[in-house]
Amino acid sequence: MSDVLLRLERLEVVYHRVITAVQGVSLEVPRSGIVALLGTNGAGKTTTLRAISGFIGLDDARVTEGAIVYGGSRIENRAPHRITAHGIALVPERSKVFENLSVAENLEAVVPRPGADRRRLAESIYELFPALARLRAREAGYLSGGERQMLAIGSALACAPDLLLVDELSQGLAPVIVEELVGRLRRVRAELGTTILLVEQNAHVALDVADYGYVMENGRVVLDGTPERLRAHADIQEFYLGAGGGERRRSYREVKQYRRSRRWYG
Amino acid sequence: MTVPRASGYFRTRYAEDFALLDTRTRKAWAALFAAALLVYPFLAGPLALDLANQVLLGAVGAVALMLLTGYAGQISLGHAGLLAAGAFTTGILFKEFGAPFWVTLPASALVGAALGLIFGLPSLRLRGLYLAVSTLALHFIVIHLGAEYETKRGFSTGILVDPPSIGGWQLYDARAWYFVLLAAAAATVLFSLNLLRSKTGRAWRAIHGREAVAGALGISVHRAKLSAFVVSSMLTAVAGCLFAYFRGFVSVEAFSLFLTIQYVAMVIIGGMGSILGAVLGTVFVILFPYFIEWLMEAAGLAEELAAVVFAVNYSAFGLVMILFLVFEPQGLVGVWRRIQAWFLMWPFKQKPLAGTK
Amino acid sequence: MQLAVNIAVLAAIYALISCGYVLIYRATRVLSLAHGELMMLGAYGLYATASLFSGHPVAAVAAAGVLALAVGVLVYFALMWRMTGESVLAAVLATIALGILLRGLMALAFGTQTRHPLAELGWTNASIAVGEDAFVSGVGLVLVLATAAVYGLLFAFLRFTRWGIRMRAAGQNPLLAAQRGIGLHGIYALAWGLATFTGGLAGMLIASDAGLESTMVVIGLKAFPAALVGGLDSLAGALLGSIVIAAAEVLMVHHVDPLLSDVVPFFILLAMLIVRPWGFFGSREELDRV
Repeated sequence: MSDVLLRLERLEVVYHRVITAVQGVSLEVPRSGIVALLGTNGAGKTTTLRAISGFIGLDDARVTEGAIVYGGSRIENRAPHRITAHGIALVPERSKVFENLSVAENLEAVVPRPGADRRRLAESIYELFPALARLRAREAGYLSGGERQMLAIGSALACAPDLLLVDELSQGLAPVIVEELVGRLRRVRAELGTTILLVEQNAHVALDVADYGYVMENGRVVLDGTPERLRAHADIQEFYLGAGGGERRRSYREVKQYRRSRRWYG
Repeated sequence: MTVPRASGYFRTRYAEDFALLDTRTRKAWAALFAAALLVYPFLAGPLALDLANQVLLGAVGAVALMLLTGYAGQISLGHAGLLAAGAFTTGILFKEFGAPFWVTLPASALVGAALGLIFGLPSLRLRGLYLAVSTLALHFIVIHLGAEYETKRGFSTGILVDPPSIGGWQLYDARAWYFVLLAAAAATVLFSLNLLRSKTGRAWRAIHGREAVAGALGISVHRAKLSAFVVSSMLTAVAGCLFAYFRGFVSVEAFSLFLTIQYVAMVIIGGMGSILGAVLGTVFVILFPYFIEWLMEAAGLAEELAAVVFAVNYSAFGLVMILFLVFEPQGLVGVWRRIQAWFLMWPFKQKPLAGTK
Repeated sequence: MQLAVNIAVLAAIYALISCGYVLIYRATRVLSLAHGELMMLGAYGLYATASLFSGHPVAAVAAAGVLALAVGVLVYFALMWRMTGESVLAAVLATIALGILLRGLMALAFGTQTRHPLAELGWTNASIAVGEDAFVSGVGLVLVLATAAVYGLLFAFLRFTRWGIRMRAAGQNPLLAAQRGIGLHGIYALAWGLATFTGGLAGMLIASDAGLESTMVVIGLKAFPAALVGGLDSLAGALLGSIVIAAAEVLMVHHVDPLLSDVVPFFILLAMLIVRPWGFFGSREELDRV
């Protein structure tokens, strides 16, 4: 992990000046790597992602401690469109396309980074997602869930990013489509050299595509490692992959013990 | 309902949560304030008395609008139309039938309630901006009907209304008016405060917060909206009736859109969601033009600007409204609470948390 | 025939004004109730430039147009950007307050007597015969043509240019737009600038036709039912709404009662709000988002 593109250093995010959603998260995303951020609802994954993409200011949240270092410069608490200009693009969780605009217009509306070749970008996007080329004139509101996700990824790529942030790739989509999208993300990395930070609840998907994973809980990173290592970890099997013993349910004490052990890792 | 004091005062019964005046100190202050209001007309000069009368009259309408906008969250830009409806009901009944005030007052209230129902109907389908626009449309329609009456009956300059009389005694004297208006304003304020701590008031606040959630909690959203419109419009029409008698004159020119804006400004400048705010806002808005006039005189510009006084007023008023909207969205009540908090916490510095009220 | 001409001219007036309401609403989700005043400011702008550039009427008109555009951008950066994120009510009230402020300032700066910018420019307003027994004033004809041109250009702008597409995108989903690198403040300022420009243009033309006085604000206010009847987020709707309202107004005034002129648009608006609140071409979801 020599060339680090994005590094979070003990990041802390506070909502409404009182609620701490992310407490001291540190992680590294190597250039041209795919890193997954795992965790259940409310673990602080999305907040972390929004902190990176500059979206948290709109929810009255701020980065109060720590740093977000991207390509050598600090970018915390900047306006979203400035962060996009730095080469970070987000595929958001919900409302990810402009529904009243056609597919082509969705891609056209994007402001790419200065110096990017718009035409070549559009070509490579249509090449990656032939479905989008076919649906060029269709209004985005009438796309299926999978097509929408493709368009969302496509228009994020139209910003010509170095770093693509993907929030909940698999949410609400059929496994077959998720598999296809995962394949596309691999191609994005291979062909465009884009670095990808993926936030997922579905550990199967995340560990399948990533070369490194972080597990978040209660606003902290509690575990990290290569997919092999994470897959082998007993707690991951138990809580994320659903492969545990299964015969008996865990008692409250054991869960508490589990949480305590997580804190040690963090 | 009220903010607890800083000292070791704790509420021990639920009823105390609903009390209008909870501590002895507050009761004492309220009594003192009431006494001050009662002796005011005997100490004040004619101008001060007239100003007080205008404030009291305005407060009725402002409190009514506060119930609707500040509490139930329904935006209305038809307030002047409702005032006009009350005033014209009074004027027409007086001119056509020579009706005394104990007929015109309830009749105005009734017309107001009926109009409130009509104004409220669009609110069942519309929200926010669209609702504001529909009430604005209703304003123009009410005003048009008034103008139509004036021209058709040949009162193109306006309808003259005699002062109300009981037996042989006429309500004419400014001091007598003061007590009548004080009673009206006090009754409105008490009625509103009472209503707000009832089930209806809670329903209003619930639909203000979020309609869908309020509905899920078993509140009839339609009923709450309509009741807010009806109560508010009724009070407003009563204020319109008083306005007609107080001025002794009814004319559509008095009920322009600017009047609506003035009332909305009272609510905004006073502070949303507070009866005290409505009263403070009224004081501010009514006294503002006099303050500007005084300022112009003090600056020695009174004569130069005499021809354009209204323009100066407009500019200053617009500017003040903008300043409040941008820098003090909680209005005068917000300022008042900060001062209170400052004194409570003194000598410690208190920094209120953002996101709390 | 004369009625048809009158309807066309009035519809053009309303359409030229109401596209400002639509532009601002569509991009920023704010209904600007200061539009009538901004329109009047545009007209006073022409009056001022006309006396400044006396002898060069074309330069004066161009300068007034640029001025109007600049005023709109200025309004956004001086006031409206502070209202982003505030409630609908606060933003609308801010525009109302701005309207009052402008009205006061204009009365202070220009007085209250009727002005005639056309005379200042040194042009005359000839009456042109249409068909056998109908007439249209020269300015009226220019109004119709200008409205057609403005609408054509706006359609093309929003449909085919990158900035137009971005403006639509920003109005629809500002969060996502910001994420896609679109600077919202720039877009919003552009919307205000364009709206004030078209409104100012309407103001200049009306002032050239009928003189410039404070009642012009009422025309601005009467045009906004046109925007709503058509659907606040649709330009085509504004055009259709303007025609409907103008036709109803002219016919009612002619056949029933001249006093109705000020109230007909609002009657139609109310009827529309009850039957089909989102207007002819507006999108239905609009109702829920405000």
